Amino acid sequence: MASQTKRYAMVIDLRKCVGCNACTVSCKIENQVPEGVFRTWVKEIEKGTYPQITRFRLPRLCNHCDNAPCLAACPVQATYRAEDGTIMVDYDHCIGCKYCMAACPYDARFINPIRKTAEKCTFCYHRVKAGLLPACVTTCVGGARIFGDLNDPQSLVAKLVANNPVQVLKPDMSTKPMVFYIGADQDIMGARYGDLEKGERKHG
Amino acid sequence: MDNVTYLANVTHPVQLGVLIAIYFFYTGLSAGSFVLSSLGTVFGIEKYKPIAKAGVIMAIALLAIAPLHLIADLEQPGRFYTLFFRLNPTSAISYGTFLLTLYPLNSIIYLWFLMRKDFAAGANQVSGFRQKLYRFLTFGKTDLSPEAVAKDAKRAKLLGTLGVPLALLVHGYTGFILANIQARALWHTGLMPLIFLMSAMVSGTGLLILVLLLSQRFFSPERSITPERKKLILDIAQLMLWFIVVDASLMVIDFIVLYYTNAAGRAAAELFLYGSHRTMFLGVEAGLGLFVPFLLLLIPRTKGSLSWISLASFLTLVGVIAMRVNFVIGGQQLPLTGNTLNPYTADPRHLMFIAVFALAELAILYFAFRFLPVFGLPKTPPAPVNYQGQVGAK
Repeated sequence: MASQTKRYAMVIDLRKCVGCNACTVSCKIENQVPEGVFRTWVKEIEKGTYPQITRFRLPRLCNHCDNAPCLAACPVQATYRAEDGTIMVDYDHCIGCKYCMAACPYDARFINPIRKTAEKCTFCYHRVKAGLLPACVTTCVGGARIFGDLNDPQSLVAKLVANNPVQVLKPDMSTKPMVFYIGADQDIMGARYGDLEKGERKHG
Repeated sequence: MDNVTYLANVTHPVQLGVLIAIYFFYTGLSAGSFVLSSLGTVFGIEKYKPIAKAGVIMAIALLAIAPLHLIADLEQPGRFYTLFFRLNPTSAISYGTFLLTLYPLNSIIYLWFLMRKDFAAGANQVSGFRQKLYRFLTFGKTDLSPEAVAKDAKRAKLLGTLGVPLALLVHGYTGFILANIQARALWHTGLMPLIFLMSAMVSGTGLLILVLLLSQRFFSPERSITPERKKLILDIAQLMLWFIVVDASLMVIDFIVLYYTNAAGRAAAELFLYGSHRTMFLGVEAGLGLFVPFLLLLIPRTKGSLSWISLASFLTLVGVIAMRVNFVIGGQQLPLTGNTLNPYTADPRHLMFIAVFALAELAILYFAFRFLPVFGLPKTPPAPVNYQGQVGAK
């Protein structure tokens, strides 16, 4: 977003992701995310038939969209955009109507069963304010997650987005996500409706 | 590549559940009965005037209960009042907050102007509790001169004229609540507000017919469904036939286009036409809720019978409840990520709320039709009073 001096974004280089879920765990600890719900998680699929088979992983989190449907949906302005572009939830004002959860095309939101408000990834706003990186970024063993200011052309995220073929999830929703993937496979990026039509229920 | 196996993903249960679906059902009933009420008072169709009061009482009684479902569904119900001052102009819910407030207020004032002359006359005619109630409800305006009555009718027409767009907006906005969500393929269509409005008309007419039958039989001064009343009910039933035709046409159009939208839209259509939602959609919503009532209202033998028409009306209610559940919950069951339907389990507390609210609704309707002069005052004048002030001395 051009009007902002900072625009934090994340690049996830899937060539370096090993699917260890260290990000999932560190996020849970850092943000005290209750059992059963996730601010970040790693989706994993297996594609093909042995021996022609590959595993693909897709770490998921809030996309902090430039054109965020949750921001438009919230009836009490509890969802807001911080000065650095991060989409935040004001837990003191959220009424828990869950309309934002219906509006999010990425299933990024959940109801915190303890706090009873909507919740999601905040790009570890509290850490970033203190000059640290988000917990998932610092813990990523392969260095697959890169975080930084997209408005700063010298930042690593800006360079990676400029110099690599990157994808975002569901670009057709015109949400302009701020999480970019390098090397994402199309079969893992959205829903697989073909499986539904056949009535198959493949569980991981 | 077809051979894809999911190894890990997070499940995302359906969030807006049965409370929201039933809320849509109530607002639909309210809007539908209000529009029927306005046919006589606003659009000046003389034959519908006898149902004007019944329609608007239903509209108010239903809208008194409807928002409770929304509050019960909140995770933080104690914060609901912040909806009134922390507005978001891009959220349909923000508009709904004010529509849900203005519409019942307008309806109550409208009802008062419709009923004031009955209250004023009743305060002198009836006795006991009702007399006190009617006297209180006149709020001191007991003028029964033709000018005052004509003025009431004029004001009622003005408020009714205001009420019709409000009723349509109240129910139209619920359509927008779903239609504005681009992420959900089943919801994201411009037809959604219209589909909601037409199913509101269908169910509103259905409930109005049932309420009219029961209340005229048991609470009207005549305690019976007179031939004129029967004629009017049969007439309203034929209106319902046309509402069903339009509602079903909109649904067919919606599904045809849904098939040609995108992968998610096609999956939504197939889920309803071939998949696990088939019974609820084709069987209950379309079959029991639209097709059977359509036949009952079309066949000459059944369309003239009050019992068959009651059955048709009841079935439209079942069908529209199914429609609300199908669209609200089914729309969210279609996955946004992954390859399985999002699970939904109704919270037992929510089901309990629905039952309590339904009982409260029945109680309100019962008391309103029992004690208010919906169908006029008793025709028999009070016993003559003789010179000594002794009642009924003969």
